[in-house]
Amino acid sequence: MGNKQTIFTDEQLDAYQDCTFFTRKEILRLHSRYHELAPHLVPMDYTNEPDCKLPLALIVDMPELKENPFRNRIVESFSEDGMGNLSFNEFVDMFSVLSEMAPRELKAIYAFKIYDYNVDNYLCKEDLEKTLNKLTKEELTPEEVELVCEKAIEEADLDGDNKLSYADFENMITRAPDFLSTFHIRI
Amino acid sequence: MSSASEPVVGSSRSLLAAKRHRTVRKNSRRIYSAYRDHQQGSSDEEGGDDKEVDSNDPEEMFQNIQYQKEIIANIRSRPWPMRRKLKVLKQAREIVLKYEGQLTRTRGYQTAGADLLKKLYRVLYNIVVTFIPWEVRIKKIESHFGSGVASYFIFLRWLFGINIVLTIMTGSFVVLPELLAGAPFGTTRSKTIPKEHLASAQDLDTIWSLGGYLQYSVLFYGYYGSVRKIGSAGYRLPLAYFLVGMAVFAYSFIILLRKMAKNSRLSLASASDENFTFCWRVFCAWDYLIGNPEAAECKGAAIVNNIREAIVEEQEKKKDTSLAVLISLRILANILVLLSLAGSIYIIYFVVDRSQKLEQEKPELTLWEKNEVSVVVSLITMIAPSAFELVAQLEMYHPRTSLRFQLARVLVLYLGNLYSLIIALLDKVNSMSSAPHVSSSNWTNTSSTISSLSAQVSRISVSEHHNSTMATISTAINFIHNRSSLITASNQTIPFEKNARSQQDQCWETYVGQEMLKLSIIDMIFTVASILLIDFIRGLVVRYLSDCCCWDLESKFPEYGEFKIAENVLHLIYNQGMIWMGAFFSPCLPAFNVLKLIGLMYLRSWAVLTCNVPHQQVFRASRSNNFYLAMLLFMLFLCMLPTIFAIVRYRPSEHCGPFSGQEKIYDIISDTVASDFPLWFSKVMSYVTSPVVVLPAVLLLFMLIYYLQAIARSLKFTNNQLRIQLQTERTEDKKKVFQMAAARLQVPEASADKNPDQQESDIPNQEASIHTSSPQQNGSITNVQSPINRSNSIRTISQSASGADLNEGCVSGSVRSPAVIILPKHQVEHLPNRPQHFIGGRSGSCRSKSCHHMAYNPPSDLSNAIHTDPLYRKTIRSLHPVEAAGIIAAQNYGGHCGPTTRYVIVNEHRPRKKLLCSTTRIPRHYLMEEPREILELYPRNIKHYTPRTIHQQHPPRSHTSQQLRKEEEETGKDRKRTSLGKSLRPCSLPDHHQQAHFYIGERLDSFRESQRARYEMQEDDEEEAGKEGIDWGDFNLPSPSQTSVKEKESSHTQRQPVHSPRRQYQSPTRTRHMGSQLKPKLRGQLETHLTESDSASIASSSDQQNSSTDQYIHVIHSKERHLGSDVRQEKMSKKKSKTNFDLNYTESNDLICSNV
Repeated sequence: MGNKQTIFTDEQLDAYQDCTFFTRKEILRLHSRYHELAPHLVPMDYTNEPDCKLPLALIVDMPELKENPFRNRIVESFSEDGMGNLSFNEFVDMFSVLSEMAPRELKAIYAFKIYDYNVDNYLCKEDLEKTLNKLTKEELTPEEVELVCEKAIEEADLDGDNKLSYADFENMITRAPDFLSTFHIRI
Repeated sequence: MSSASEPVVGSSRSLLAAKRHRTVRKNSRRIYSAYRDHQQGSSDEEGGDDKEVDSNDPEEMFQNIQYQKEIIANIRSRPWPMRRKLKVLKQAREIVLKYEGQLTRTRGYQTAGADLLKKLYRVLYNIVVTFIPWEVRIKKIESHFGSGVASYFIFLRWLFGINIVLTIMTGSFVVLPELLAGAPFGTTRSKTIPKEHLASAQDLDTIWSLGGYLQYSVLFYGYYGSVRKIGSAGYRLPLAYFLVGMAVFAYSFIILLRKMAKNSRLSLASASDENFTFCWRVFCAWDYLIGNPEAAECKGAAIVNNIREAIVEEQEKKKDTSLAVLISLRILANILVLLSLAGSIYIIYFVVDRSQKLEQEKPELTLWEKNEVSVVVSLITMIAPSAFELVAQLEMYHPRTSLRFQLARVLVLYLGNLYSLIIALLDKVNSMSSAPHVSSSNWTNTSSTISSLSAQVSRISVSEHHNSTMATISTAINFIHNRSSLITASNQTIPFEKNARSQQDQCWETYVGQEMLKLSIIDMIFTVASILLIDFIRGLVVRYLSDCCCWDLESKFPEYGEFKIAENVLHLIYNQGMIWMGAFFSPCLPAFNVLKLIGLMYLRSWAVLTCNVPHQQVFRASRSNNFYLAMLLFMLFLCMLPTIFAIVRYRPSEHCGPFSGQEKIYDIISDTVASDFPLWFSKVMSYVTSPVVVLPAVLLLFMLIYYLQAIARSLKFTNNQLRIQLQTERTEDKKKVFQMAAARLQVPEASADKNPDQQESDIPNQEASIHTSSPQQNGSITNVQSPINRSNSIRTISQSASGADLNEGCVSGSVRSPAVIILPKHQVEHLPNRPQHFIGGRSGSCRSKSCHHMAYNPPSDLSNAIHTDPLYRKTIRSLHPVEAAGIIAAQNYGGHCGPTTRYVIVNEHRPRKKLLCSTTRIPRHYLMEEPREILELYPRNIKHYTPRTIHQQHPPRSHTSQQLRKEEEETGKDRKRTSLGKSLRPCSLPDHHQQAHFYIGERLDSFRESQRARYEMQEDDEEEAGKEGIDWGDFNLPSPSQTSVKEKESSHTQRQPVHSPRRQYQSPTRTRHMGSQLKPKLRGQLETHLTESDSASIASSSDQQNSSTDQYIHVIHSKERHLGSDVRQEKMSKKKSKTNFDLNYTESNDLICSNV
């Protein structure tokens, strides 16, 4: 491993660099991180694109995600099967979207996905409640949660359907001053 | 990964791939329509690529390639899964690669070149990125403390970058040439240590106070030679020195402004005054960077506080604390702050003055005396912010406001310190240099005695100038007076400098540089000390002594040191200000600052990680970014002023430095222009600098500024307008949705008016099938009029179904889930009849789910309906308890009550509340009408139907006490019915409930009689028969009034009396239809199938005279139609079949009798 073992071909690295906001080095580092998660599962050689997925439980254990109240949702919304199993591609994708360089629009899309617990394309009250409870570790009383959810929906709901569509969400989130700075994970 | 196996080569490959993409897209639920469109578009074009390319039209090909390139360029910003991105990228690349060369040769070369450039750029970028220092360290801090604390370190790193550039500039253009080509140490007078100082030149305290060898080194201005050209290449060092000095400021300005512009471009938020307090607090509160449990806990607590705060603010927007007290407190606080500012400024001035006197009086100074200026300044900068913080607690501002105040005060303090220091220094410089002659004149004052007329003139101008600059700093007025007078005094001495200078070794530029460097060093020492003392030792004490202390050290008094982002950033700014101030006089100051920043970086990060806790008040990182930068810019401007002032106003030292012998420092430019440039250039320069050019230029600038400002204002205005427009459009959209919904409601109503019979037949039919409320009539009619072909066919179907059901039910008997078994059969039965309706249908197993889905789809419509039609709502409400009961009673239940599920939808908005109110409401309904009947109402209904629909007795579990009572009453019955009843329970609930409605609602006397008879007939079969029948009859009597109360559809009820006796059978259905009139409308909103049912009803209404049979048949018919397109048809069909089954099964005999 120490010597110049090829993990990716140059072509692959180029492709990854085109598809993500990472540099070559970062992609290699990502791979090593991914590899660290399950050394026996993840091959070192990715030149032939092995089909290998890591379960949610392993990924959520990363120090970057461990403290995040939305860690499960993050991983789930980046996995293609929706269950939280991430292939390396999705893994890279996740950190690319969460990287500093990703544009606001892209981040907003995935933020919406993350907060949409029941995957119905709307942030309804339940989603908000769940978000809030995760965020505050259920320290708020139900009445407070209720109030905050109502207020939040009231503020952002433009079409009056009592839930937030993506348009509502985007409109709200793009105006948030610190969304860009907080919605990112360095790796 | 399947992408590994890209099967086909060439054009067919990409076609296939495109197809696969599409399928993938279909499979993976694409959420966002905008992007879906985008993707669709792209995939289509991908599919079309080959054709286009094959067409060999170069233009098309070119466009295609352009398109593909666009894909490549933007692919990273698309919200696709990585696998797709990779695939699309590969494909696009291949296409580009394949066809680009075909276009033209030059284009091919171009792209090859571009590719090469891109690759090079990427490699360079990869290399550059590796040189960004402290990435890992900052990352670690970020993960521990979040973006707020990290922003400090990022800011520090950025400053470090600036200082590196400054160092390189000064180092390579000033210091290195001087070292390499300049006169070596000791050759000239300005580069040798005077003999009297030589002995002590290597003493520690001399070195410490930057004297001795350090004073005569490249560190300071005085060392640099004034030779115009040095070395063999003729390097113009003085010119370079001047230009670099200016370039330092210019570069700082440019880089700052660029950074600020970039930041403001990033933060869209500043433009909007919309406020999403709660949303932001929910969605943007969590800092995804946090990776440390402690920090996470802190953050969680902070978020909770924040939200609570918002709630409190929301609840009581205004607190009524006594305003007078608050105002007086704030005034007091401000007075305190002003006093401390003035005090600090005075102390600094006093210290400088004292040291100046001491120097004159004492030959040997102690270490303290030498350094007291810097020490005092550093002490003030350390202590005053804490004092301000204490004072700020008096004011009771909102934390954010108080933070702003705090920052502003600290900034003013720092600036005041720096200014008073530099001014006192300049003053000291002058007095020092002219000490032999005019030392007394400084203080004895009176410009008239000593100075000439010219000196007076200069004094006035100088004092004016100073006043204006000081006004910007807004320090205490008395201080300004004090200082300006002193400055005038100092300026008076300037003319004397010329005379007094001759013997002076002293070089005021070096002196200023020394002081600044000293200040910087002392500041560094104090920072280190404060970190160690305040943070580290305190942390140690708190951690290890908390056990043996009577109070909790960790949470009460000393606590752990907080990392105060704002103060620390301000300190950095202050530090940078010192550098800028001194950079001209001490070219190595930036280099020193680089070292200092490196040290600070490591020390701070270490301290933060080991012994600090995050700041309680969350200081918005991104918003503050520009705030920091703005302060830095302000600082830069103000720090530049003294330097510029010194350059412009003072005469450079006679015997040291690159500008010695010149009248003014900036003369170097004009000298160079005059001597080294061709004549025309100096002529041009003289023109350019003459007022003829300068004045118009300044005017032009002003005009430009005004124009740009006007443009900015208008842009802002249009921005606002657009936003308002956007908002109104959105609200209009909203309205439109409502209107459309309303229109859909209107249409069915209108049609109902046109041919009420049709509608009646239509709707009651639905009703009937929904709620088996009219089984008697329907049943009887069917039986009587069965010959009618349509009814026949349908009935037979349903009968067969029901027959099957019956068998099943009977056989399965006590088995819990006969309904489940039955259901699929029904579907099968009905499928052939209405295949088109079943297309959208779901399997019976996921009935409840589909129901749930439905609930989400049409909520707006439903709510509309509810809003528009209170009557309808009532009916809905009354249905609720049933629903609730059903939900609790059986999971099948939801599936059974097709239309009623819609009511569930209504519920789902406010599930608990509505359910509650609905459950409570029903009794109220009845209460209003017949208080006494309440108890009997339910039982009666149930008993009525028990003969027919055995399952009806199942007590809704969630029902109110009445229902419970009813339950008790019917336990006996229940026992009997368990066999069938349990399986069918769910559907029975809505049925019987609806019946209650119906019977109460519209009973004509004749009808009542017949019914009673019928009931009696039925009840004969039952145990409770006779009593119930009588009850029912009693109950029916007051019903007309109820009709009006409950149904309120006067038009329909009025029609009832007109009906022929035969049609009276219809009347119940019709009234039911009134209640349910909105249901078809609702359905109509959702689907077009209403028209189908209409046509069906037209067909059926052709024999309206046949009356209820038709209608009943039609009921099933239209019902199915309606529901057909719904997702819940199966449920409906099942239910309907059940009704049929009920009818067929139990009623037939009784009903026939009654009908006759």
